[in-house]
Amino acid sequence: MSLTDTLGSLAVATKGQYMTGVSVDIGTSFLKPAGVPGDTLKARATVTGIGRTLAFTKVDFTNVAGDIVAYGHHTKFVGKAYGHPENVKFSDDDLADQAPFDSLNTRKTTARRRQSSSSLRAISIGPRTNQLRIQSSALSIHSFAGSETDQSEIHSPAPRRHFLQTDSHQWLKAGPLSSTSSRPNSPLSIASTDNAEALYSSSPRRTRREQTLSFSSLLNHDHVALARQRKATPAFDREHIRSGGDVYEGGNAGAGKRWIRWMHRNRMRDQVLVCSVAAALWIKWCVGLGGYSGAETPPMFGDYEAQRHWMELTNHLRVHQWYTYDLQYWGLDYPPLTAYHSWICGFIGSLMDPSWFELDKSRGIETPGSKVFMLDSGHFQYNSIMLGFTLLALDFFSEGRDELGAICFVASLAFKQMALYYAPAIGSSRLFIRLAVITVASFVVIFIPFLPPFAPLTSILDPITRIFPFARGLFEDKVANFWCASNIIFKWRSWFSQPFLIKLSAALTALGSLPSAIDLVRGGWRVMDNSTMSAPSSVSSTTLGKKQEEAIAVSTLPILPWAMLSCSMSFFLFSFQVHEKTILLPLLPLNLLLSGASNDSFAFEWGVLVNNVAVFSMWPLLKKDGLTIPYFALTFFWNYVLGYNPFKKPTQRRLFRYLSLLVYAAILFIHFVEMFFAPPRRYPDLFPVLNVLVSTPVFFFTWLWSIKRSTEVAWGISGMGGRS
Amino acid sequence: MAESAITFPAASLRTVSASSLKQRDIPRSSKLSHSELQTGKPSWWSLRDISSSEWDLLVFSTVLKVLLFPAYRSTDFEVHRNWLAITHSLPISKWYYDTTSEWTLDYPPFFAYFEWLLSVPASIVDKRMVDIYNINYDSWSVIIFQRSTVIVTELVLAAALLRFTRGVVDPSTQRIISTSLFLHPGFLIVDHIHFQYNGFMFGILLWSILSARNGNLLSCGFFFAVLLNFKHIYMYQAPAFFIYLLRAFCMSPQGELLFARFLSLSNIVIAVFVVSIGPFLLMGQLPQLASRLFPFKRGLNHAYWAPNAWALVTTLDRILLKYAKETGMDIALNAEALASASRGLIGDTVFAILPNVKPIHTFIITLAFQSIFLVKLWKTPTYKSFLCALTLCGYVSYMFGWHVHEKAILLVLVPLSLLAAENHALFRTFVLASVSGIYSLFPLLFKPAVRRVYE
Repeated sequence: MSLTDTLGSLAVATKGQYMTGVSVDIGTSFLKPAGVPGDTLKARATVTGIGRTLAFTKVDFTNVAGDIVAYGHHTKFVGKAYGHPENVKFSDDDLADQAPFDSLNTRKTTARRRQSSSSLRAISIGPRTNQLRIQSSALSIHSFAGSETDQSEIHSPAPRRHFLQTDSHQWLKAGPLSSTSSRPNSPLSIASTDNAEALYSSSPRRTRREQTLSFSSLLNHDHVALARQRKATPAFDREHIRSGGDVYEGGNAGAGKRWIRWMHRNRMRDQVLVCSVAAALWIKWCVGLGGYSGAETPPMFGDYEAQRHWMELTNHLRVHQWYTYDLQYWGLDYPPLTAYHSWICGFIGSLMDPSWFELDKSRGIETPGSKVFMLDSGHFQYNSIMLGFTLLALDFFSEGRDELGAICFVASLAFKQMALYYAPAIGSSRLFIRLAVITVASFVVIFIPFLPPFAPLTSILDPITRIFPFARGLFEDKVANFWCASNIIFKWRSWFSQPFLIKLSAALTALGSLPSAIDLVRGGWRVMDNSTMSAPSSVSSTTLGKKQEEAIAVSTLPILPWAMLSCSMSFFLFSFQVHEKTILLPLLPLNLLLSGASNDSFAFEWGVLVNNVAVFSMWPLLKKDGLTIPYFALTFFWNYVLGYNPFKKPTQRRLFRYLSLLVYAAILFIHFVEMFFAPPRRYPDLFPVLNVLVSTPVFFFTWLWSIKRSTEVAWGISGMGGRS
Repeated sequence: MAESAITFPAASLRTVSASSLKQRDIPRSSKLSHSELQTGKPSWWSLRDISSSEWDLLVFSTVLKVLLFPAYRSTDFEVHRNWLAITHSLPISKWYYDTTSEWTLDYPPFFAYFEWLLSVPASIVDKRMVDIYNINYDSWSVIIFQRSTVIVTELVLAAALLRFTRGVVDPSTQRIISTSLFLHPGFLIVDHIHFQYNGFMFGILLWSILSARNGNLLSCGFFFAVLLNFKHIYMYQAPAFFIYLLRAFCMSPQGELLFARFLSLSNIVIAVFVVSIGPFLLMGQLPQLASRLFPFKRGLNHAYWAPNAWALVTTLDRILLKYAKETGMDIALNAEALASASRGLIGDTVFAILPNVKPIHTFIITLAFQSIFLVKLWKTPTYKSFLCALTLCGYVSYMFGWHVHEKAILLVLVPLSLLAAENHALFRTFVLASVSGIYSLFPLLFKPAVRRVYE
């Protein structure tokens, strides 16, 4: 009886209903004894008719011999559910094999059945063509029914798509673009250009708004390739089923995905954002309990004092003095937006307690109250603002609001000049005069207090010289880049003069970011070529119209994070005066890519490895700040949330796996030795140097890898060339 | 035609054990075992039975607690370090006599044994930590060691709560209750910031309650006897345990005394006490032990007043005193009360106008109020009424007890949490009590912050 109820509802749900409505009539006739416990009982549920208000189903139960032992009928009122927004609309493609649940093999394990505790579980799946989708739908039932009290919550076997499902990894808005078609689009096949073409041939603006193309859609290559690989091996099916749908149910997925998915399932979708932000804030606050840069170390203190000092001086001095006042004591050396930010913070802080920001007198003040006001996590800097502006810029670019994006990126640059690391990538993806004008205009707006008529023209030089401190030297502390690592053998600083080194590093950096920039530009041009070929009537090919601009912008979007990664990595490795903290810049595009990668993809493993090594490369700094405990706790937690175990037995891609194992082993070894042994007197910097020697190769290979990938993605979009 | 199959591995998962599932050759896997083992017959000693979401919670809470290492810590931190030193460097005969530090050992013997056990790894980690003269030693090694012991011993609580979710009719509700108890702000504040071992202690209490739920009243009695010998504050709840065990275990439903059961229970309890205070009994230190454990000289109210009935009475006395002074009423004022400037801090609370309260008065009032629901428990000795009685026992003792600490509110909140899902009235009570109870713990955090700012 309860089977009739359940299966009838499921059969209705195969018609795409999100909610299957309420039962109007239900009945089961029992013809024969069903057998003894342990026998197999087959049930077949069919939708006999479905209209706007009522759905009729029948369920036949047959025993081992194939005789009907019972039949049931189940009528449901679906009027309310008819127009539900979450109902699945079957596309033409799907109609061919719709209703995957028309026939259901069920097994009765015991004669004592209770409705509330029956558990559904998929043991076999549909035809190959629709395999992945049906798996996921079967498994979605499994997940609903798995917690055996939630029987009432079975709405539908049809997959409810959201961005966490493995076949639609979208960190932005998930569009139907990449999710409806499970067709493999290999980066090497010209066929995949139809993404770009499809976008182009319809109105670009509209298309981009409605089905936003995300950076990670191209990453689906990884995933789709993997899926194809699985389809090819029937063993995968069995394996997949035996593991109870590991891929979907979270054997592989980390804790983070598992919980968000759980919240989605339990109608807490709206709270996901709130909860994650709250959890992040909570953790950051706890980290804030620990040490920070320069705590209780007069006379200069550290970054905390620098930021506080800027709040102090921006609130007490006139604008043109900001970049000139007592430069020996933490003179302001970030662009004006940082100064404005300091001014606002200092203003609010002064309202609470003026003594925190008194000119000169407040230097080194570390009262509990001022610390609470300044509260930050760990070392103390405002990198998130710069990174946030960049992210916002990317977001606008992907939505097609390039003007806003350009303004945001300028804001990012004007907050910290480090955002320059992204500039080659972002610049070459948007080579349009219109944007250049906007960019220049927003720079002017930000620098306005330093320009005539508000100040003499020469005063613009103050911030400029402060922002680009070439006087400081090739590198300061031990930083995991090319110069510092090779310094062990090549004594650059004693062999060459400072101006030459500046030129050399600039040349190397430019060379390093060149390939991905070329990819972007070339990809853009090629897409334009292709599109003018395919749709010559709609667009005049002589002028670069707005539509074409957009087409290029859309189609080159997937290259952008790769290009940003390779540019910023190139800056980190080769440029002049790099800090350990700057590794955060390559991590931003890397984590965007990571968010789109499935847990067993190559990108995921690279991404996690680089993240871990990057945090490790900051270890000497964190140790100095007294952040040992947060360093270990959070690194562990981050990997746990992602579901990454560096010491898992390698399965595929042997070489990379073993290399990364080697890196982790080296990291653990260094930590272990450092914990128990002091460095030898002759080499007091032994551990930081070892750190650099482990980290630099990883960053170097990341840089090479990002160039390779950006080229591949560019090919995937525009074809390999050689067009006849 | 697409075809997909669904199995019903267990019609009633509660009744089907994991092994019987295996016989029906349904592929077993870690994923399947979540749902089946959460409801199937539990085998709690196997780590495999812990589902991934439970691991998540454990990892999340542990990381959070580790991040709280550098947070403010109260004098209790030094108290416990001193006990490590006492138990490590002194012979057992001097444990309860030592007064090198002002923080003398005033917990029952099991806790002293526990500290003695901890002092072994402590001496390996840092010798100076267990030096009895190294007062107020708080290097990073001590902080990390002591704070980690809190986290590790709290696993007792985690295990008990995990077991609570197994084999119940409504596992999802029980899971929420267990989670809310494991991540209880009270524990975070009192254990991981303020510093105490309440997670461990309440873990034992929950094992005892769990045994009662599973109908194993003998082990229920055993665990509670052990708990009493760890921390005697749980005497607040002893009446409920006593009545429940006596009525439900030692007597038949008709009211006849089952002598064999009575003997076995009392033997177990006595055995626990012998192990605990036996050595001190032999050395003739019982009076000293008692004076350490029950310091009635300490006064009616604790240093920071627990928000209970006596706090109200004290406030009333202050108001009356002020009123009397203002109006110049001719009332025989208690000179001693007027003289004591630091009223309410550690030391005896003396009322100026109202009659003074003696420990015996608080006992009588407490017992009188407790008898109301203890009679009910006697009449219906079920698990539910036992839980209610536990909550109320803690509550009444908190309200009217002598020298109550604000941390004792956990004695109310923890059993009440187990009841929260029973009905809406209890849920409402639970929300109200939790919010106000946790708020009442705020002074534990607030005062030091103020002191830091203004000192």
